Amino acid sequence: MTEHPLTRLLAFDDQVRRDRRQAPAFLHRRDRRFGLDTEACDDDTLVNQWLTHLRRFSPGSQQNAGGRDRRLQRWDRIGLAFMAAGVLLGITTMLGLLYYDGSGRINVTVLLAFLALQLLLALATAVQSLLGWRPWGWLVNRSAGADTSVLQHLHPQLLARAAQGGGLAFTLAGLATLLVLVVVQDLAFGWSTTLAAGAESYHRLVQTLAIPWQALWPAAVPDANLVASTRFFRAAPTSAVTAVRWGDWWPFLTMAWLCYGVLPRALLRWLAGWHLRHQARQRLYHHPGLTALRYRMETPVLETGNPDADASSAPSLDTRGELQPYPDSPVVIRWAGAGGEPLPLDFADNGQRQVFEAGGGATLAQDRLALRQAAAVLALAEQPSAIVLTRAWEPPTGELEDFLSEAREQWPTDTLVALVPLATDPSRPPEPQQLAQWLRFSQRQHQARLQVSRYDAQPPARAWSNGGAT
Amino acid sequence: MSQPPLFAVVGHPNKGKSSVVATLSQNDAIAIALEPGTTREHHTYPLSIDGETLYTLVDTPGFQRPRQVLAWLEAHSLSASDRAETVAAFVQQHRDDPRFHDECELLTPLINGAGIIYVVDGSVPYSAAHESEMTILRWTGQPSLALINSIGTDDHSDTWQAALGQYFQVVRKFNAVTAPFNQHLSLLKAFGQLEPAWESVLERAVMYLSEQRAQRRHQAARLIATALEDMMAWQERRTLTTGQPADAERDALAGQLRQAWYRHQRRREQALRLAIEALYQHHRVQRQEAELEWHSDHDLFSEDSRQAWGVSRKYLAGAGFGAGALGGAGLDAVTLGSSLGTGALIGGLVGAAGSYFYGDRLTLPVMRLGPLRDGLQTARFGPVQDSQFGYVVLGRAVDHWWHISCRNHAGRDTLNLAPADSHWLETLAPEHRQQIHKALQRCRKQKPLGSDQRHRLALAVEAALEAYSHWRLNPG
Repeated sequence: MTEHPLTRLLAFDDQVRRDRRQAPAFLHRRDRRFGLDTEACDDDTLVNQWLTHLRRFSPGSQQNAGGRDRRLQRWDRIGLAFMAAGVLLGITTMLGLLYYDGSGRINVTVLLAFLALQLLLALATAVQSLLGWRPWGWLVNRSAGADTSVLQHLHPQLLARAAQGGGLAFTLAGLATLLVLVVVQDLAFGWSTTLAAGAESYHRLVQTLAIPWQALWPAAVPDANLVASTRFFRAAPTSAVTAVRWGDWWPFLTMAWLCYGVLPRALLRWLAGWHLRHQARQRLYHHPGLTALRYRMETPVLETGNPDADASSAPSLDTRGELQPYPDSPVVIRWAGAGGEPLPLDFADNGQRQVFEAGGGATLAQDRLALRQAAAVLALAEQPSAIVLTRAWEPPTGELEDFLSEAREQWPTDTLVALVPLATDPSRPPEPQQLAQWLRFSQRQHQARLQVSRYDAQPPARAWSNGGAT
Repeated sequence: MSQPPLFAVVGHPNKGKSSVVATLSQNDAIAIALEPGTTREHHTYPLSIDGETLYTLVDTPGFQRPRQVLAWLEAHSLSASDRAETVAAFVQQHRDDPRFHDECELLTPLINGAGIIYVVDGSVPYSAAHESEMTILRWTGQPSLALINSIGTDDHSDTWQAALGQYFQVVRKFNAVTAPFNQHLSLLKAFGQLEPAWESVLERAVMYLSEQRAQRRHQAARLIATALEDMMAWQERRTLTTGQPADAERDALAGQLRQAWYRHQRRREQALRLAIEALYQHHRVQRQEAELEWHSDHDLFSEDSRQAWGVSRKYLAGAGFGAGALGGAGLDAVTLGSSLGTGALIGGLVGAAGSYFYGDRLTLPVMRLGPLRDGLQTARFGPVQDSQFGYVVLGRAVDHWWHISCRNHAGRDTLNLAPADSHWLETLAPEHRQQIHKALQRCRKQKPLGSDQRHRLALAVEAALEAYSHWRLNPG
């Protein structure tokens, strides 16, 4: 597919704008996929292939691919308007320049001066475009306000192309008018100037101007006699000899208009078109989207995620249970070595209270032995209760659950079991969130005689009864 | 082609296994809770390059009944040579036993060849209770590495290190919430050292992750530069149909336009925040930040305020902006955030904007009425005519970027963009300061930036990101 660079630039810019709404990860995957299937190529080919690739899977965007871009249609219309104006102005200007009512002569000097002015304007337009100057920006902004920024940057080149097109139409229409008038009228040319210029110097001037075509059409090079005989002064009478030659200027004027009017305009019009294409290519090459596209194509897609998003399904951390004071129990089970050495006095072995080791580094056989020995002690108690010391920072595990379950089977049915989580420094109370996990564990066991208690080495006050919580 | 390496993150319940996986897989969607047993099934987190999986992390439930499992294994093994098979047999036999559900889930990847990443909490004392877990893991015969992940503030890592060294090939300290990115990479390299066949693939992964990191910073700079451009150039417009408004109406209209302008700026800034967070795969960040808000009767950036914060006009003049930048500036804009006090707010702005408050008052945007044409008139508010606004936006954005880029995906705390009262932009090279300043000046004049200018602004912002990182890591 061969597209005008401007069309390609606009299509690319549009796609980049659409992509802004997409997630970067998606764009990277999409373009990396394309990059893996595409061989290395220049930027123009790459953009063409990329756009074709995207359009292939988005049939809706074909309308943009096939037809002329709406924004460019507006510039086409501006170009046509310039040309139409050029034709009209060309005809009227030439009619004005060649106006001849028989009372005077058409001054060749005026025609040459007008050509010079016209050439100067053409060059000014070209320079303005090359410099990117927009003195008429306000006017274009009103008529083309919807242009995207990428097109706004090309306004100088777009307008220069339109202006040069209009200028070309102007000069062509002027040339045609000149030829028609030469055919249908008897035009009387002469030259005149207020300056003190002699016929010789004027002859040298026209000969210099005629250099481009002197070999091609010698008759279009005025000779010294013609120059000398067609000079006129406002007050001087005309002679019959010179009147014969008044019309001999037209070949020179025609070729001068062609060489210094039409040809420069045609050349500058072509140059404006080339400059526009060049600028459009440059804009494309330096488009931030192209750099990003190249990067996405060349950089492997790295994915570390997975579809398992379970953050929203985290368990509830609500804790409905409340801490209860621990009983003065004859049995203390030290689970996984909780409490360190020595144990706090409230839980130490004192003859009336026995401490058994279970869990952690103990074997399963030691667990079972501890259960049996504790059962024997509890069987003698009126209100049996047992304290299970745990490490507050360790979460309750299935092993403790199994232990408590077996205890429930082996110990008297009304035994109150108090879980007492201890901090790493048993003299300090554990953190509330550590206690909370034990409260939730206790709730999950659905045992009425299971509670969680907090040990504080310096409690404000405590009221106990033997074997039961108050 | 050989199977990509698999790493099962295992351990006691609630020791940060999911945190380690979340950080290494850059996934903040992984449930992390203080409740033991949050993870009940094993989940896989592959790292893939163009669809090719380089390695997979497996998050597993914690051990619930390790002593019972070990007792079963010992009872069914004849010699050391059959231990791995015995572990597989255990899983086979107890797959449907709810009591050993968690053990089966965590052992399944191991019997499928996964490397072991055993996670312990170094902030609590070592206990022999873990030895049955470590013994079971050793029975699987898989390459193993132990991670000491300190959740609390105490440090018992030395005793853990000594004990773990007896069971594991490699022992590393790694805080899943605070470990900087280079430690993530270092840890991945350590994974590769567990098995010769894994080394090259982990090296590749590290290379790609490093490139991704660099590219993310580059992209973040572009996002910030675009937001700066948008916010500096934003103009609120309203077309009026009733001709020239009366003075009272004019004031009301100016108020409406001002509010709409502020609203847009806040939204644009929030969009930038979300874009930066999405770039770094943070989708669930709770943020606490003072909002951008103007308060016309609150001149925080008066001469007095400036002196209170120890910034002199001389310093600002020397900061690289030249006399052109000094005219008629100052900040009358304040962020009065929801929960932060004014003092914190000043600090936030001062810190965020670096030292770029340099005049007496900020030139607030004012409403301008266009000429009456065909019975229509356009009222315009903005763009802000003081480029200091851009520095405030830039400072806040850079600060946010830094927190996000350094935030591990295991982090669940609210991101508090606290103020910092220092002049980090001092360290930015003068040419980058000039680029930023030129771009802001151009934007406030509503002149669109060309591709080159935009590119240079993004480069300057990227340099600012680097300068801020450097300042954060080397304060003073």
